[in-house]
Amino acid sequence: MSTLSDTDNLSRTLFGKTRRAVLSLLYSQVDDAFYLRQIVRAAGVGLGAVQRELKQLSDAGIIQRIVRGRQVYYQANPQCPVFAELKALVMKTVGIAAVIQAALAPLADRIRIAAIYGSIARSEEYRGSDVDLLIVGEATFAEIVSALHQAQSTINREINPTVYPPAEFRSKVAAGHHFLNAVLKEPVLFLVGDKRELARLAKKPLAH
Amino acid sequence: MADRDLAQCRTPHLSPDWQLNIAYNAALQAATAALAAAGYRAARDAHHYRVIQSLAHTIEADPALILQLDKFRKKRNITEYEQAGAVSEQEAIEMFALAKNLRDEVEKWLRSNHPELL
Repeated sequence: MSTLSDTDNLSRTLFGKTRRAVLSLLYSQVDDAFYLRQIVRAAGVGLGAVQRELKQLSDAGIIQRIVRGRQVYYQANPQCPVFAELKALVMKTVGIAAVIQAALAPLADRIRIAAIYGSIARSEEYRGSDVDLLIVGEATFAEIVSALHQAQSTINREINPTVYPPAEFRSKVAAGHHFLNAVLKEPVLFLVGDKRELARLAKKPLAH
Repeated sequence: MADRDLAQCRTPHLSPDWQLNIAYNAALQAATAALAAAGYRAARDAHHYRVIQSLAHTIEADPALILQLDKFRKKRNITEYEQAGAVSEQEAIEMFALAKNLRDEVEKWLRSNHPELL
């Protein structure tokens, strides 16, 4: 399982410092608009560098520049052709997925599957959405909750884990358990394991 | 009363959702009992949340226990209103153990701090 620094490294390699900072902020909270000084403060880079970056990104249509009265705000641009891709990229490298993955790392040897499902996986989330997390493994609910406690503050969202031991998962899926089978049909974002592992644990081929 | 709930929990064929609910109620009752013994009532607003948090001050419960109980509270809210069935048997078992543990802790605390109530 990757650590936060591994996935962090991805975005550091892909983007220069300022671009990474601006994109991380704007594309992890796509419903929010930020003004210049907010961005500078959050990014931890200089004012001039941020201003230049914001101009480049808005010229390219990656972010939008919004004027409200005398304030200028910047926000991720949903009309950008790669809006969804950038959003997913940020989530996986520095956002929700990365943070949760890192938080679960100490329990790695007892987690077979960790997957985000629900509104966030469908990319239909809003500011107040919880993160719904399916865990299959030997780790207990108590351990998962403790491990994720800090992460909740970091990403500023509730995380709702549902934890299944592998045997229970297999028998429930086989028995046609409503909740599990519904989740298995939806898009999910894997943090630990993958579709193949999931199918293996369910001991049946999954429609997907 | 909490004892009756916990005994019911062990009935087989109850769905994990239901088992969680029963065990959770038993835990909440124990926490409420401790609060009442200390001479307080929780405000009606965010009632369950407050009762759970009060455990830190009444029986001086372990922060990890309070965290878990609050997580079960949220899980219960979700399963009631949105996702029926998002509770595993494993979780129901853990909630049951937590409720039993809490009940024992509260009883122990009552014996030493408010024996007149028992």
